[in-house]
Amino acid sequence: MNKLITFILIFFVTNIYSQRFITNEAEISFFSEAPIEDISAKNNKVSAVYDAETNQLVFQLNISDFIFPKSLMQEHFNENYLESEKFPKASFSGIIDELNKVSIATGTLKIHGESNAVEVKGSLVKGNDSVMIEADFAIQLKDYNIKIPKIVMYNIAEEIEVTIKAKLKKI
Amino acid sequence: MLFSPVIIFAQDDLMQLLSDDSNYKISSSFKGVKIVNSQSVELVSKGDLLFLIQHRFGTLNSGAYNFYGLDNSQVRFGLDYGVNNWSSIGFGRSSFLKTIDANAKLKLVNQSKGENSFPFGIVWYSSAFFMQSVWKDMQADDYLFSDQLSYAHQVLVARKITSAFSVQITPTLVHKNIVNQGDANDLLSVGLGARHKLTSRISLNAEYFLQLKKENSINPLSLGVDIETGGHVFQLHLSNSAAMFERAFIHETNGDWSNGDIYFGFNISRVFTLKK
Repeated sequence: MNKLITFILIFFVTNIYSQRFITNEAEISFFSEAPIEDISAKNNKVSAVYDAETNQLVFQLNISDFIFPKSLMQEHFNENYLESEKFPKASFSGIIDELNKVSIATGTLKIHGESNAVEVKGSLVKGNDSVMIEADFAIQLKDYNIKIPKIVMYNIAEEIEVTIKAKLKKI
Repeated sequence: MLFSPVIIFAQDDLMQLLSDDSNYKISSSFKGVKIVNSQSVELVSKGDLLFLIQHRFGTLNSGAYNFYGLDNSQVRFGLDYGVNNWSSIGFGRSSFLKTIDANAKLKLVNQSKGENSFPFGIVWYSSAFFMQSVWKDMQADDYLFSDQLSYAHQVLVARKITSAFSVQITPTLVHKNIVNQGDANDLLSVGLGARHKLTSRISLNAEYFLQLKKENSINPLSLGVDIETGGHVFQLHLSNSAAMFERAFIHETNGDWSNGDIYFGFNISRVFTLKK
């Protein structure tokens, strides 16, 4: 009887595990369009896990992994705006659902120590052993307590466009 | 119950799969490449050109007639270029003793945390100083070009203790090719520097050099405020030292803080990105 219970438990555990997809090379980039200059950066070391059984989706990245074309921009981004030593990571944790062939991820986005409920439209395409997740959405800097001093008001936009491209492989 | 309930994985468990402790390089221990007079462990980034204008006025105790020192000023212009991620070169010219200097800075180790962490940032800095001689001295029989040269070699060891507070210790060797009889050619000293960030753009800096063997000079103590605005950093200084290059500010300072021999100065630095 004990052997049967153990077998059933292992069956459940491996079953749930086999529906998980993971990556630590997902790409998230952002773009700020302002009158004086455009700012963009890319992070190629984003981690993500998707559980097809429960529809849970989590993303996590290190703020310091965002690469800018100008190193001074990168330094100011980390030191002055995102304060990446105080808040080294940003994350998303939520559920992804499909509605009329559009995938919608609903959950909590945490950046710069501030959490906000978000709803993001994107696409989730299941392959044989992998899942492709893509999304484009905008965030407001003030929602995450990221302050822009008046002196650079025309250099940095209040609304930032974020693009996600992730290919997750089965665990 | 004979059967255990089906295990439900919370989103926190998914997060657990992602947590990592990989190596994280510490950066921006100081706002600029200098603490006040002396070099910090920061280097100019690869492909960037740093233009530095340094001013030092006369002493504050010069009296109202001399506008408390502001009438008298000396300047150093400097250009530093980031060759790659771990080295930079630079040169400059001071009006103090009309000295031209050239330098190279090499990053040896980065302070980092996480996996394979290392507690300090270590940088090597070498500088050569060329005191421009007068033409008639150069006509003398025993004139040697190398008589006008002196050098400074430093190992900069710094630690960013919190995001607001960093300290640096700088063992230094200054070598003068030609000295007065009885004076030493090689002088050793240890520099101590610290910076405290008041806001994300303003910091308070302090620096002191302890000469291991003093030769009729006073150890330099300097205080500064750094204000950063976009591509410029403004630095305001108070120091008992008039000069702005290593050989002179470490070993040839004659000002005494307790006497009011305090020189006010300011630096402006601007970074140009030459290569993206």
